[in-house]
Amino acid sequence: MKRILIDSSKCAGCKNCSIACMQARRPDGSVYDIDLTSPQHESRNTILINAQKQCKPLFCRHCSNPACVKSCMSGAMVKSPETGHVGYDPEKCAECFMCVMNCPFGVLKPDRATGTYVVKCDFCADHNSEPQCVKNCPTGAIRVEEVEQ
Amino acid sequence: MKHIIIGVGAAGISAARAIRKHRRDDEILMISTDDAVYSRCMLHKYIGGGRSVGEMSFVPDNFFEDNNISWRNRTTVTEIDTANKRVVFEGGSENYDRLLIATGAKSVFPPIDGLKGATGIYGLRDLPDAKAIREKAGGASNIVVIGAGLVGLDAAYGLVEMGKKPVVVDMATHVLSANLDEPAAAVYQAKFEEAGCEFRFGCKVSSVKQNAAGEVSAIILDGKEELACDLLVVAVGVRPENGLLPSNSIDEYLSVGTDVYVAGDATGFSQSWPSAIEQGEVAALNMCGIITPYDEILALKNTVNFFGIASLSVGQLVPAPGDTCDVRESKGRYQKIISRDGVPVGVILQGDISRSGFWQHLVKNKINIADIPKPIWKMSFADSYGLDENGEYEWMT
Repeated sequence: MKRILIDSSKCAGCKNCSIACMQARRPDGSVYDIDLTSPQHESRNTILINAQKQCKPLFCRHCSNPACVKSCMSGAMVKSPETGHVGYDPEKCAECFMCVMNCPFGVLKPDRATGTYVVKCDFCADHNSEPQCVKNCPTGAIRVEEVEQ
Repeated sequence: MKHIIIGVGAAGISAARAIRKHRRDDEILMISTDDAVYSRCMLHKYIGGGRSVGEMSFVPDNFFEDNNISWRNRTTVTEIDTANKRVVFEGGSENYDRLLIATGAKSVFPPIDGLKGATGIYGLRDLPDAKAIREKAGGASNIVVIGAGLVGLDAAYGLVEMGKKPVVVDMATHVLSANLDEPAAAVYQAKFEEAGCEFRFGCKVSSVKQNAAGEVSAIILDGKEELACDLLVVAVGVRPENGLLPSNSIDEYLSVGTDVYVAGDATGFSQSWPSAIEQGEVAALNMCGIITPYDEILALKNTVNFFGIASLSVGQLVPAPGDTCDVRESKGRYQKIISRDGVPVGVILQGDISRSGFWQHLVKNKINIADIPKPIWKMSFADSYGLDENGEYEWMT
């Protein structure tokens, strides 16, 4: 399967990945007119900072043993046997947010605008599975590679 | 090899999936009383009219065909003949090589005077319960729910969505007493009250009255106060449906006898959806000869979401003597972390549960965070951040 590999030592914390993620979901407009504070635009990824002030990129791993899928009681969160990616269907989702609680790395969150769905990386399915975060990372801290499932 | 799985709930389905994943050619037969696969965590949405039976399914449409699984539904297994490796049901029997009992649990009806035998009284556990409640509630004017826990409030929520104004009775002092502390519970209580629910705390239903037709007509609180009632929902707990188990001793491989396994609520272990899924998978692996012990996962954790307010609670709800308790409140938001000797033992978050999944990992694994030089509110995976050779995250503690 394809996974976004992370080299946190190269992360400069510029958040180009987060803006690219927000922009990837917009039907029109560009990064120059995006309202970064609007709850309408939420990034699937984020950069955490540890106590030593180092940048630690937090991106959905589409885990081989995904706790989110195991905790999903509606069938909304499913790991695809073909791509290995964990897909999410907001129509099926029952908004219990057990996935949010059970992701051991704290990647998931309910959407801020309505609180009715989960903000979840879909590996940029609408962009030919070319993750826009990776495309816009200026330091090479994230890259897509084929890994074992 | 032929596997029989009794039950099509979370544990049964999870087991079927796992068997098929590891044994492409084994025969799998599922037997269930239920004639639909549905998530019982969503029954209140059916009562409220928000979801149809089909919309409560947690498997893809062609799950059985696509996975080459036979399903004998509307069939209740009455006996397991372990000597001949055979399950018996009305009108027939089937032989197995490996058997999984995933029969779930049933609602508890407490021994209240007059409750037994009266009609118009339901638990909220299965689809027929939800159907009956929805149907009966349409014409009911005095609905009482016993139990202000998650299931009781689910029932109340569904009824409120139908435009009903149920009275919820509980011996506790506040709603969701097993899931939340008082401040967090009060937020939900106010919302339910706004929606028309009435709560009666600290009281006990001492008896149930029936009319001449045998229908519930009233409940008596603490032997003195009478509340009119034409529909009674009893949500005080569940009991494992374990009558078929050949033995009550479950080993660490979830086996209850030669080639017989158990998973889900039928185990009697403390339960949640994720633990049923996990048990189903572990039992399935063992049924396939892939020896896998079951590690009980943290059961004291849950999320609550009513009226658009999400909460998460993990571990202890209130501090014990000597514990540290950090609380932070702001508009629409409540956060509480209980720590013992630097280890978080209880977390309640309400209003904003964004990216908070790491807390249950910290509590479950008893990870000491006292040495991390940052405020507890800034805690995250960043301070234990690790990646394995496959690019997956791992905790470095």
